Amino acid sequence: MNFTNPQIQIEDLPNIEDVVLKPISKSYLKIIILNRLAFYSLILGAVIGLKYLIKEDGFQDNFWLILIGSVMVCIANFIISVLAFKKRKYAVRGNDVIYAKGLIVESIITVPISRIQHVEESRSWLARHLGLSTLKIFTAGEAGSDLSIKGLQQLEAKGINDFISARVDGNN
Amino acid sequence: MEITDFSQPIRQSAKGIIVIFAFNLLKFFKKFLVFFIAFGIQVIRKKSFGGVTPTMMYLGLIAVIVLILIIAILKYFNFKFHLSKDDFHLATGIINKDNTIIPKSKIQNVYIKQNFLQQLINVVSLKIETAGDKKSEIEISALDKPTALLLKKKLFNKISVESEETQHTETEEKQNVFFRVTPKRLLLEGLSQNHFKSFLLIITFGYGIYNEFKDFLEELELEKRVEGFVNLDETDLFNLIITNVILVIAVVLFSFLFSVAKTFIINFNLEVVENQKTIEINKGLFNKISLSLTPSRIQNLVITTNRVKQYFGLYSLSVKQAMVNVKQQKNFKIVALEKEQLNYLINKLLSDYNLEGKTGKPKPYFVLISALGMLFFIVLANALALFLFGIGMLWINVIYLPFAIFYVYFEYKKAYYIISNNFVTLGSGVIDTTTNILETHKIQGLKLKQTIFQKPRNIASLVISTASKSVTIPYISKQEALTIYNYLLYKVESQDRDWM
Repeated sequence: MNFTNPQIQIEDLPNIEDVVLKPISKSYLKIIILNRLAFYSLILGAVIGLKYLIKEDGFQDNFWLILIGSVMVCIANFIISVLAFKKRKYAVRGNDVIYAKGLIVESIITVPISRIQHVEESRSWLARHLGLSTLKIFTAGEAGSDLSIKGLQQLEAKGINDFISARVDGNN
Repeated sequence: MEITDFSQPIRQSAKGIIVIFAFNLLKFFKKFLVFFIAFGIQVIRKKSFGGVTPTMMYLGLIAVIVLILIIAILKYFNFKFHLSKDDFHLATGIINKDNTIIPKSKIQNVYIKQNFLQQLINVVSLKIETAGDKKSEIEISALDKPTALLLKKKLFNKISVESEETQHTETEEKQNVFFRVTPKRLLLEGLSQNHFKSFLLIITFGYGIYNEFKDFLEELELEKRVEGFVNLDETDLFNLIITNVILVIAVVLFSFLFSVAKTFIINFNLEVVENQKTIEINKGLFNKISLSLTPSRIQNLVITTNRVKQYFGLYSLSVKQAMVNVKQQKNFKIVALEKEQLNYLINKLLSDYNLEGKTGKPKPYFVLISALGMLFFIVLANALALFLFGIGMLWINVIYLPFAIFYVYFEYKKAYYIISNNFVTLGSGVIDTTTNILETHKIQGLKLKQTIFQKPRNIASLVISTASKSVTIPYISKQEALTIYNYLLYKVESQDRDWM
């Protein structure tokens, strides 16, 4: 029987903190900004629209307060989204894919390549114009272990896709 | 008993027509019942509605039933299945023909079920489930029991032969009834359940009924009488309190009864049979279920008990598999196990399970978060009480506060984690004590979470996902979280073991 059981030094294991994470493409910031702006104009438009719909005094008197409040919330949200953009980073190691994101809630997700069921590369209309791609990585089960890396350079996404696909096929 | 040959396409038992017919009829009436009643009453009252007379309506109803019967018969004739060497084949469809092929190796579960109607006409239904989505499951609704058992055996044998080489002596497969629940233990199990849920259910139900009859009660001018009642002297006030106490006791008793009845109906004659490779669970009163568990398909094990249950030695074991829908998931629960039986079962399902390894508890930050949550709840409850009943209701805090303190205390006390060589064990719960076990090689993904409030405190949470559920190790130090993160990743990636 060819069986060995070497002791594992926990300190010697590959450390997730040592991985140099790569930021996603800068152009993706444009998409975030455009998406956010569209969203804000929708909200502010709705607030302004309400001014003509609700004739109640309580609302009319405080309309400017409500509007300023909404604008403030939008600005705060915008700043956070832009700052959070810098936190979106990814890395591909030999055996897993790592994705980090989030400003207020920071998270690092790792999916071992051997557990990946399939990979999908999707491109929205806007992303196509900027040469970007979203890479979606699916694992088994409904549990939240699926990954979606947005704003990758198209070539980069294709490269990762090919690499993972080859590894997944090779394993089976 | 004739041995059924599964290699040729065969139909289910002819009684299947009855089952399909009854099932479709029920489905049809469920959908259109309200419409029927509304329409029917109109027609009967006015003798004719939109040119429809009662006779026409009855004829229409009969026509619909006959149509459903014809569909059932056609469905029966167009439902054929057979087994080839590695696959299960099924052909269905009256107009649109469907051909389903399931490789035996991908089958996750085979259930044998028997609902009330099927018990009457003495057939069983057999369900084949893969780890895919809900649509991919197959149900053969009427087979006689020996055929179903044989089919199940054939479906499963292939799997075990394929996965392990030794011992494929199928003929002398010993069946050992390992655990059979006694009525006494079921009764205890029902009584010792967490009654908060059924209590709430009954309260909301009662409140709903009260609302329905509110107008009626108002008509009786009960309120005036009650008001007059309250204005009276102290003996009447005392009476009022007594009535309330009796009401509460009645609700509590009712919720006890409810829990016991539910436990009995679901787990009637619960039986765990130990086969060579698999574990079989049989149970149910109106819906008899028999299902097999293959250890390699298990993603998580959850053990629940509580103080009272611990005293009586009652433990429940739930088995979580990949992509099983919630309704089915409930069937994979074995209740009223004794401690030794539980341990034996765990060892059977997970080889060399042990608790040796790195043990830890969440940081005291956990208490802070839990206490904040409780505070939020209390403030909300107080606001509601103030709004509904006025300032006099604030005495309720006398009950809330100790409850909140106990809640936070037990929640922290019961939270722990153990990272052993091949397993992750997590403890949690407040009233219940829950233990979550998963095998490291079944991990699908890992996530480290840290909010900006946790950053200065150097605290992080770790979410471990398997194909069936995600579990969280909450609020441990970041260093520790990273060590576990690296270790688990190493475990998954260094072993070339399949997750199912």
